[in-house]
Amino acid sequence: MAQTVELGGRSLRMSSRGLSVTEPTAAQWRMRVDPRPPDGIDEGDLMRRVARGDTDAYSTLYDVVAPKVFGLVRRVLRNPAQSEEVTQEVMIDVWRTAGRYDAARGSVQAWILTIAHRRAVDRVRSEQAAADRHQTVGARSAETDFDQVADAVTDRLEAEQVRNCLGTLTELQRESIMLAYYNGLTYPEVAERLDAKLPTIKARMRDGLIRLRDCLGTAGS
Amino acid sequence: MSTSELHTLAGPYVLDALPADERIGFEEHLAYCSACTAEVTRLREAAVKLAANVAVSPPPSLKANVLASIAQLPQSAPAESEQPQPTAPGEGVVLTPRRGFGRLRRGSTLALAAAAVIVAISGGIAIDQYRDNTATTATNNQIAAVLAEPDARTVHGEVKGGGQATVVTSNQRDAAVVVLHDLRTLPASQTYQLWLIDSSQTAHSIGLADATSLTKVVSGGVTGKIAFGLTVEPAGGSAKPTMSGATLISMT
Repeated sequence: MAQTVELGGRSLRMSSRGLSVTEPTAAQWRMRVDPRPPDGIDEGDLMRRVARGDTDAYSTLYDVVAPKVFGLVRRVLRNPAQSEEVTQEVMIDVWRTAGRYDAARGSVQAWILTIAHRRAVDRVRSEQAAADRHQTVGARSAETDFDQVADAVTDRLEAEQVRNCLGTLTELQRESIMLAYYNGLTYPEVAERLDAKLPTIKARMRDGLIRLRDCLGTAGS
Repeated sequence: MSTSELHTLAGPYVLDALPADERIGFEEHLAYCSACTAEVTRLREAAVKLAANVAVSPPPSLKANVLASIAQLPQSAPAESEQPQPTAPGEGVVLTPRRGFGRLRRGSTLALAAAAVIVAISGGIAIDQYRDNTATTATNNQIAAVLAEPDARTVHGEVKGGGQATVVTSNQRDAAVVVLHDLRTLPASQTYQLWLIDSSQTAHSIGLADATSLTKVVSGGVTGKIAFGLTVEPAGGSAKPTMSGATLISMT
């Protein structure tokens, strides 16, 4: 059975056919190092201060991330009152568990937004019975969402960059990713919605994200 | 599910697009696939950028509420001190002191179900910093689902070097629950590795175990396997099992 281990950024793959070594690409190295923080705010430093109980640092961090947390949760839940409630829970969790943040596992924003997205998705899935879920969600259009997302955005430059990069994806990659991330669908639900095979959707989500990552990693500064 | 199939789940995983059972299975896989963990970290940075596109300022009252809440709220200690403690001896697992490979009666299986759930709660494995109670609940649901299958069967054996291993399998569900209890503590340079062996005597790794007690759900790759194996390997695991000192429990 093949086994892959990672040493110093290189992937060593052992299988019955021997040992192969994969060097990361330049883009992977860049992603491995924490992405550049926007606006000169060192979010890693903020996070360390928050973990030590610094409420001023927390207030700054809140201002940086809360619009994304709230916007994302609202997009998935589509219920303003619930979205405020979940955003509040997430932001309180960030304070409470700040000491658990591990910079080696990703950026501060990735940590917080992962918590937020998972919380929103879990909420939406637990509340919607399978039957009516297919009807209500099935009626939404990913393409419409894509055209309308730019309203009420707080950081237009960053949003525009994401939008441009989404535009470089194939239609199936883009729809798969957006239905999952913005609408909270599982990949089998996405496959049903787009009338595609399950392995296809899984693969498009992955290669779409890789393309998105490469585009975001090189576009702008 | 094969290893390469599992690898493709990194995309849906970072989009939170895996159904609960597959999410748990993939998180188990992440625990011993460092290449997958690295890929998840990279893809996650891209996925969360999508939030920029929908960002909108929350009402100012929300910040006031949050700041008021945290002023009263103590912070958790860092992750190192939050690792779940191994189950204390005699707590949780009530493994029937039974020798050989026979099947347990249905009643015993249900007792074991309750025990496995207790272990999952008290000695669950923390996979990553995002894992929360939802995941624990989902694991318990998965365990219950395996145990509820009409074809669920239980095998049990002593682990060489000390401890007990119990495996509940359902071919119908293509899933298994492995309960390890009271294993000998290994030096940091070594790890336990879990295997399922097929009819051609090939061992397929199903993960590593560093705790002395744990409950693990295996999704996929169970149907048709004839034995469960537990070996002691160098830290990081091995591609093939080290047979000296290996524990093998027949599942047929």
